[in-house]
Amino acid sequence: MLAFLSSRLLRMTITLWAIVTAVFLATRLTGNPIDFLMPEGLDAVSRAEMIAYWGLDRPIAEQYLLFWKSLLSGDFGLGLMERRPVAVIFSERLWQSASLLLATLALTIAVGVPLGILAALWRGQPRGQGVLFIAFMGYAVPNFVLAILLLLIFSYTLHWLPSAGSATLLHYVMPTVALAAYFVAALTRYTRNAMLDVLSEDYMRTARAKGLSESAIILRHGLRNALIPVITVLGLQITTLVSGAVVVETVFAWNGVGDLLVGATLRRDYPVLQFGVLVVASTVILVNFAIDLAYAASDPRVRLVGA
Amino acid sequence: MLKTLKTLAAAALSATAFVSLAQAQELKVGVQNMAPWLDPGRDFSNVGSQFYFNAFDPLIGKDATRAESVWQPGIATSWTQVSPTVIELKIRQGVKFHNGDPMTVEDVVFSFDRIINATFPPYAIRKRDTLPNMARVEAVDGETVRVTATRPEPLFETLLNVQQGMIVPKKYVMALTGDPNVAEASDFEAFALKPVGTGPYKIAEFVPNQRLVYERFDGFWGEKAPFQKVTVTRIPELSGRLTALKNAEVDLITNIPPDQLEPVAADPKLKVEGMQTPLFHVVIFNTQNPKMANPKLRQALSYAIDRKTLNEALWFGKAKVPTSHSFAQFGPLYMPELATFEYDPAKAKALLKEAGYDGSPIRYDIQAAYYTNGLLAAQAIQEMWGAVGVKMQLNVTEQWTGSDPTMMARGWSNPMYFPDPAGAFGIMWAPTGNSASEGRFKADDAYIALWDKFRFSTDLAERKQAYAALMQAIKNDPPVLPLYQPYESYGMKRSLAWRPLQGHIPYVLDFRAGRVTLAAR
Repeated sequence: MLAFLSSRLLRMTITLWAIVTAVFLATRLTGNPIDFLMPEGLDAVSRAEMIAYWGLDRPIAEQYLLFWKSLLSGDFGLGLMERRPVAVIFSERLWQSASLLLATLALTIAVGVPLGILAALWRGQPRGQGVLFIAFMGYAVPNFVLAILLLLIFSYTLHWLPSAGSATLLHYVMPTVALAAYFVAALTRYTRNAMLDVLSEDYMRTARAKGLSESAIILRHGLRNALIPVITVLGLQITTLVSGAVVVETVFAWNGVGDLLVGATLRRDYPVLQFGVLVVASTVILVNFAIDLAYAASDPRVRLVGA
Repeated sequence: MLKTLKTLAAAALSATAFVSLAQAQELKVGVQNMAPWLDPGRDFSNVGSQFYFNAFDPLIGKDATRAESVWQPGIATSWTQVSPTVIELKIRQGVKFHNGDPMTVEDVVFSFDRIINATFPPYAIRKRDTLPNMARVEAVDGETVRVTATRPEPLFETLLNVQQGMIVPKKYVMALTGDPNVAEASDFEAFALKPVGTGPYKIAEFVPNQRLVYERFDGFWGEKAPFQKVTVTRIPELSGRLTALKNAEVDLITNIPPDQLEPVAADPKLKVEGMQTPLFHVVIFNTQNPKMANPKLRQALSYAIDRKTLNEALWFGKAKVPTSHSFAQFGPLYMPELATFEYDPAKAKALLKEAGYDGSPIRYDIQAAYYTNGLLAAQAIQEMWGAVGVKMQLNVTEQWTGSDPTMMARGWSNPMYFPDPAGAFGIMWAPTGNSASEGRFKADDAYIALWDKFRFSTDLAERKQAYAALMQAIKNDPPVLPLYQPYESYGMKRSLAWRPLQGHIPYVLDFRAGRVTLAAR
C-alpha cells in the first residue's frame, strides 16, 4: 500500500509539472497579452513599458524559475488584467463551478443508473429500446445546442426559468440539464452493459436459487458488481465534464472557472491561466486517484501495488 | 356616484404612479463585456468607457444630447483662457466624493498629476496619447486651478472634458496601500478595484469581468440620479442577452448585431434604439512595406472598395459611409464636403496599370471576432479587389499585426477619443501617432508642418484649412480608408426611455438625470 502511494504520488507530481510547464511555454509562444489588451495597437515605448510592468520583459527561463519559486512559496501571482491575486479571482468563481458540477454529477447518477438498470432488465423489449434511444439523443446533441434549445424554450418563449447568472436555485436547472444530458446518456449505457454482463453470472443464479427477492438480487448482487467498471468510466469522464462546463457557463452567463479560463486564454493572462490549469489538472489527477481507491474498496480482488 | 368614480380613478392613478416610482428604483442592464478594472484616468478601452460617466465628473462638462461640443460647468464652474498656453478654472465648492471626503483643488491637481507626471506605466501611456501638450496643473488658491500647456493649446476645453481627466480622490487613493502619504503603483491598482468619484452614482459593488452595481449618491452636487440602483451584469453570449431581455431579467442590453435586431423589434413589449457610433471601421495600408510603397497602388485599392454596398449588405444601410476622416462631433471642423474617399472602379483599374501592379497577392489581415462584420467585410472587399484585378490573400489571425513589417493591409478601427480631429484622426495618424510609432506610416516634412498648424494654431479658420490639407495629403498617399461608422444597437423594454447620445464618446451608458426613465407598464 505504501509502495503504491509513493509511486502514485511521484507520477502525479511529474504529470502536474509537465502540464504546467507545457501551459507556461505554449501561452507565451502564442502571443503577448498587450496585443489583446490594446487591440488597437500601442506605440513602441508604451508597449515596452507595459511589458516591463507585467514582468514579462525578462527572459523566459528567468520567468519560469520565478514562477516556480513563488508557486512553491504559496504565491500564485497577480492576474495581468485585474491585478488581483489569482487565488482570489479563482475563489470567487470556484464555488460557482463546483456547485454546478456537483449538481450535474448528482443528476447524472440519479437518472443514469436507474435508466441503465431498466434498460438492462428490459433488454430486447421496445421500452428498453426507448431508453436507449433517449440515451443516444443525449450523446448526439452537443451541450451548447441543448443549452440554447433550453434557453429558447424555457426562458425566451415560456418565461419559466431565469437564463443568466446563478442567483437562485432555479438558475441551476437549465445549465445542470444541459451539462448532464451527455453524462446521463453515457452512464445509462455503461450501467446497462455492465448489468447485462453481471446478470448472466453464475452468482446471480445462485442468489435466485437462495430465494432472494428480485430487487435484492438486482441491487445487492447485480448493481454492486456492475458499478466497478461504471465508476472507472465516470472518473475518466470528469475531464469531459470540465470542458463541457466551459461552453455551458458562457451560454448561461455563469461566472465560473470555465468562463474565467476561456477569457484568460483569449487574453493570454498567463498567471490566471497557469493557476487555473494547475487547479483543474490537480482535480482531475486527484479524482483519478480517488477512483483507484474506490475501485479497490468496491472490489476486494483489486490490490494496490506500486508499479 | 360620478364623484366616487372620479375619486376612485384618481386613487388608482396615484397608486399606479406610486408603483411606477417603486418599480423605477432599479435598472438592470446586460452587457456583452464587463471591465477587468475601473479607473477613468488610464482607461482607453471600449469596454471601460461604458461605465465611467455615471460615477465620475470631468472638470468641464458637455451637453451630451448634441453632437457638437457645447461646454457646460462640471467640477469647474467657470474658466478663462488667460494666454494661448494657460487656462484658469474656478473649482466648484461643496463637492463630495462617494466616500464622504470633500473634493478640493488638491484632488484636481492630483488627478492630472498622476497622468502628466506619471510614475505608473499605464498613466504614462495616456499622457502620450491624450495629454502630451499638458505641462502643469497647479492650485492657485483654494478655489482656482491653473493648467499650463507646453505649446499654444486650442483644445483646452476639449481636453479638460475627457474621461481620462475625471477627478479622483487624492487622500483615498494614497491611503489604499503602503504609505498613506505616497501614491504608489499598488495604490492605483487598488483604486481600479474600488473606484471612488464624484458622480451621481457611487460604485457600490464591482466584481471584475462579472458585475457592477451603481447606487444613487445622495451627496451628488448636481441633479440626483433617477435610479436608486443600477445593476450591470455581463452576459457574454448574444443569445443569452436576448433571452434575458425577453424573459424580463434585464431592462436593457448592449451589442446587438444588425442582423439580430428582429427578435427585439418584433416584440411589442420591446424596442431597439441605436446610433451611428463616432468610430470608423477602417482598412489600413502599410505604407512602409516596399510592396505597398507606390501611392497609386494604395489609391487603387481604396477606389476599388464599394462602401455603400458594404453598408447596405452588412448594416442594412444603417451605418454611415464617410466622405472623409471626419465626424459630426467635430462641430466647425466637421467637413463632409471633402471628397477624400470615393468609389471608382474604373479609376482603380487605371491606377493599377500606372502603378505597374504585377498581380501578386495583397495580404489582408483581420481578427475574425473583434469587429462586428469585420470578416464579412474583408471577404466582400476580396471580391471587390478581385473585380479590378487585385488578388487578396485573406489572412485571418488572432494577433495584432499593425507593427509587423510584412503587414500589407488589414482591418482596424479609428475611434473618436475626444471630439476634435486631433482626438480621432490625430491619435492614429499624427506624425508621432500610433501608426507612425508602429512603423507603418511615415509623415514627410510637409505633412508634419501641416499637422503642427492644425494641432496648435489657436485660429479656428487656420486649423480648418490645415485639416483639409491633411485630408488631401491622405488622399494623395493613402494609409487608411474609413469604411463606415458602425450602427450600434441596444435592445430594451418599451417602457424604458433611453438612447445612446451623440455627445458622448462611443459606448457610454449614460444613466444620469434626464437621460433615462423607466415607467411602469
